[in-house]
Amino acid sequence: MKIHEQKSFQEARDQLKESQAALNALVSIYEEKEPSKSEGKLAGVPVVLKDNINTKGHLTTASSKILENYVPVYDATIVKKLKEAGASIVAKASMDELGMGGTNRNALTGPVHNPYDLDRISGGSSGGCAVVVASGIVPLSIGTDTGDSIRKPAAYTGVVGVKPTYGRISRYGIIPYASSLDTVGYFTTNVADAALALEVLAGRDDHDMTSSYEEVLEYSQLLNADLEGKRIGIFKTVNEEVKDPIIKAGFEQLEEKLRAKGAILVEKRMPEQYMNLIAPVYRTIANAEATANHSNLDGIRFGRRENGESVDAVMTNSRTAGFSSYVRARFVIGSYSLFEENQDKLFRKAQKIRRLLVRAYADLFKDIDGLLAIAAPTLAPKIKESSDLRFQEASFAEDHMQLGNFSGYPSMTLPLGFEDGLPFAVNLTCRPFEEETMFDLADGIEECTGLAGQVKEVRA
Amino acid sequence: MDIERGIILEKFSNEYFKKLANDLRFDLNDEEIEALKRDFIEVEKQERLFESIDTDGIEPMVYPFEAPTVFLREDQVEEVLSQKDALENAADVRMGHVHVPKVVK
Amino acid sequence: MSQYDVTIGIEIHCELKTKTKMFSSAPVSFGEVANTSVNEIDLGHPGTLPCVNKEAVALAIKACTGTHCTIDPLVRFDRKNYYYSDLPKGFQITQQFYPIGKDGYVEIEVDGETKKVGLERIHMEEDTAKQFHKETGTYIDFNRAGVPLIEIVSKPDMHSAKEAAAYVETLRKILFYLNVSDVKMEEGSMRCDVNISLSDDPEKLGTKVEVKNLNSISNVQKAVQAEIERQSALLDAGEKVEQATRRFDEASKTTVLMRKKEGTVDYKYFPEPNIFPIQLDSAWIESIQNSLEELPDARIERFMDSFGLNEYDASTLVADRDMADFYEEVMKTTKDGKKAANWVLGDLSAWMNKHNRKFDAMPVPASYLSSLIEVIQSGKISGKQGKSVFEKMMEGKDPLQVIQEEGMEQMSDDSALLAIVDSVLDANPQSIADYKNGKDRAIGFLVGQVMKASKGKANPKKTNELIREQLQKR
Repeated sequence: MKIHEQKSFQEARDQLKESQAALNALVSIYEEKEPSKSEGKLAGVPVVLKDNINTKGHLTTASSKILENYVPVYDATIVKKLKEAGASIVAKASMDELGMGGTNRNALTGPVHNPYDLDRISGGSSGGCAVVVASGIVPLSIGTDTGDSIRKPAAYTGVVGVKPTYGRISRYGIIPYASSLDTVGYFTTNVADAALALEVLAGRDDHDMTSSYEEVLEYSQLLNADLEGKRIGIFKTVNEEVKDPIIKAGFEQLEEKLRAKGAILVEKRMPEQYMNLIAPVYRTIANAEATANHSNLDGIRFGRRENGESVDAVMTNSRTAGFSSYVRARFVIGSYSLFEENQDKLFRKAQKIRRLLVRAYADLFKDIDGLLAIAAPTLAPKIKESSDLRFQEASFAEDHMQLGNFSGYPSMTLPLGFEDGLPFAVNLTCRPFEEETMFDLADGIEECTGLAGQVKEVRA
Repeated sequence: MDIERGIILEKFSNEYFKKLANDLRFDLNDEEIEALKRDFIEVEKQERLFESIDTDGIEPMVYPFEAPTVFLREDQVEEVLSQKDALENAADVRMGHVHVPKVVK
Repeated sequence: MSQYDVTIGIEIHCELKTKTKMFSSAPVSFGEVANTSVNEIDLGHPGTLPCVNKEAVALAIKACTGTHCTIDPLVRFDRKNYYYSDLPKGFQITQQFYPIGKDGYVEIEVDGETKKVGLERIHMEEDTAKQFHKETGTYIDFNRAGVPLIEIVSKPDMHSAKEAAAYVETLRKILFYLNVSDVKMEEGSMRCDVNISLSDDPEKLGTKVEVKNLNSISNVQKAVQAEIERQSALLDAGEKVEQATRRFDEASKTTVLMRKKEGTVDYKYFPEPNIFPIQLDSAWIESIQNSLEELPDARIERFMDSFGLNEYDASTLVADRDMADFYEEVMKTTKDGKKAANWVLGDLSAWMNKHNRKFDAMPVPASYLSSLIEVIQSGKISGKQGKSVFEKMMEGKDPLQVIQEEGMEQMSDDSALLAIVDSVLDANPQSIADYKNGKDRAIGFLVGQVMKASKGKANPKKTNELIREQLQKR
């Protein structure tokens, strides 16, 4: 559904409840509507939040057992902003535990199902948020994107997924994953809604020292789908790596339509050596920052506490019971890369390579308005067949969107087409703080695909 | 693969991984350690891959954007929690304090 | 003294005098109800982010300036990772890689000699929670968590217990004078860890032993002395000094082993990703430096120049900033600097000691003491009377009012005094005769009689003069 199509809190809440059996998208649902402004850009709009967004007085678990009973004593800045804009929060959505994963199978409440095929994953880590929009229940859900955690699930579920520029939206009150990559973003069914949502969510917040002073524009008013003369980069290195012929053909059709609208397409490449570094650099930085970020989860001041003879035993027992094997393994790896004797080889080295990759990536943008690539090389995998890749090698076509997190550039995914009834998508990235351009290009692309507002309703 | 695995096993004993985990205040069972050993084969590979990249003279990139900020918070009391809120989420609260088993310093 | 080369380095943690925490807007408090001066940031709740306190940075700049450190105008923070129940986030935000101040020094004076002690660095960080260890468990109060700290690390430039104590004392004075900190060692707002090593080879440092948490300057001196003696005895006996952390036991005046050092802990330091580097405005730094409070040495000099004090009195006054402040207040309405200093350092200090008060809680205004000094100077009351007025003044009474109420004002009025003198002379013909016979002592007796008759109000000098005059006439 679209933002302007009104739906009452009660109706959204009841539909969400009904959808649980099929989608399993939610951790908790609000029984009562909380007070919010009656006027505003999102007046009366039901919104779902990823469960790593702190809501005062309402359970917030980040889909982790260690926070299974955590009730925040403060609101995330964006929760205040949403309420100020008139939105009402209806539910908290499932995610991969603490954001660590790309399938949404690693959630305390179990896997989230893809509305297009319930046997398939939603993608993650913002999987619950993706499917509540994809199934047409709410027009807007707020997620986070550390390494494509919004854009990948958006691709798998056929919705618009936006990761704005790093620092555009305050991270205060968002349970982190990796601080230098974490970006708050959201899902909608169309570009106009995506433009509107940023107007509400973006802006400087003194509680987040990394939040930006860049002016927030009236993106939805400025929207301009005219592609005449626009220079659009085509990320050939990625697209050539994609094997699926239908997805490739879908992208090529889009290219034709873009040309027909007067866009100038420019082929762009990055050395494969660099592309193959994306995943290892991402893992190294993300795991290291995550292990430190989550050191506060010790069962002492909040969260699940297990008994123990000593305070160390309490922490150890709480953290052993509170984190999945997968998360604990990633903490060990992250910590290992931070050891003084290892930092130069691992963590600091990864940060240096990050710079090299970002430099090369920035070069691609010198003469274009935006860069287009196939978002994900495959359709949403089957739940049974998917796994959260631990350290097995994967194609860089899977990981290329992490460049948007390394660089902080704004990046979004739009539905592109269908194969056997399952959606696939295109990814668009622009220069930092040029969201206006990004939405303009996206609007033009959406005209080409004709997929604005598409949803897949699920009958219980 | 087998040779690599052998090297890993030699370098990383079960005790080593247990210690790494315990330093992070959690445990790993034997099965988890086995899985982690497989991960560390990849970590080692990754280390070699990184080694092959020349980063001489390149500074680590800590933040996505590197223009320094100038903002500092004014020293004014603004947000304070009530004791009730401060302790609300703690599992064991006694006499207005968070209680834990005796810490031996 | 030890036959070994003694090398001492000192690390001092100092709580900054701010209204709010280093990274949160919760209040800094002392003695508040447990867990009421905190917010979600201090408790390390999920999703919280640090936000740097401007005043803490300003105070750190003051501390750096007062200790001649070079200031790094690009402020950066790092994470120090370890798990402990008093550390809410599981890491402490500190400045490992780029401290705000580097390469400074202070000048200390030991046995009349001045020497420089180098400072390695000054960096900002946050304090931990306070834990109370009881039989029934440990009780955690997070009020102290996140309080701004600076850590001041000296170079290993000290070589004796006296130097160590003088260094801590000097720093304490500087930080107090600059209003950077309360520097109350007994309350923990200034905490001191001392590293001591002994060596018989001047080219090589010996094994370093750390004595932690010294809570007074005299304990710094005693602990260092005890540690030098302990290590000397070990070395004399051909034994090895073990690398360890020890504490000072006041009762036995010895150091006691806390824990052996088992290799160094890896804190996995890395730059704090949630705080972008902060570029300090050079004009702001300069404005702080230009409006810096007067430092102790400059003040001593000024006291000597302006108030005519000797160095001993001046530095004794300046050693306690509140006392020196009070003295300066007194000097606003009186002229004799030396007299005022005598009062402040003498009777007033004795009174304060006796009543267990400090100069920051002075019970009476400085103007009282200056009026007291003035009335004595002018001869309105005697010095002896002054002492008794002082006692009442310290109970909170205006000395002029005391003098009036007690009718202490000396009789200098000639006619009234003359009448008493006359009547005393009339009543004592024998004394007149004695005087005429050359017995000068008779005058003393007569003066005494006049004093008695005037109930002590007669001005002795004036009385003496009048008696002589009148005797001549008889």
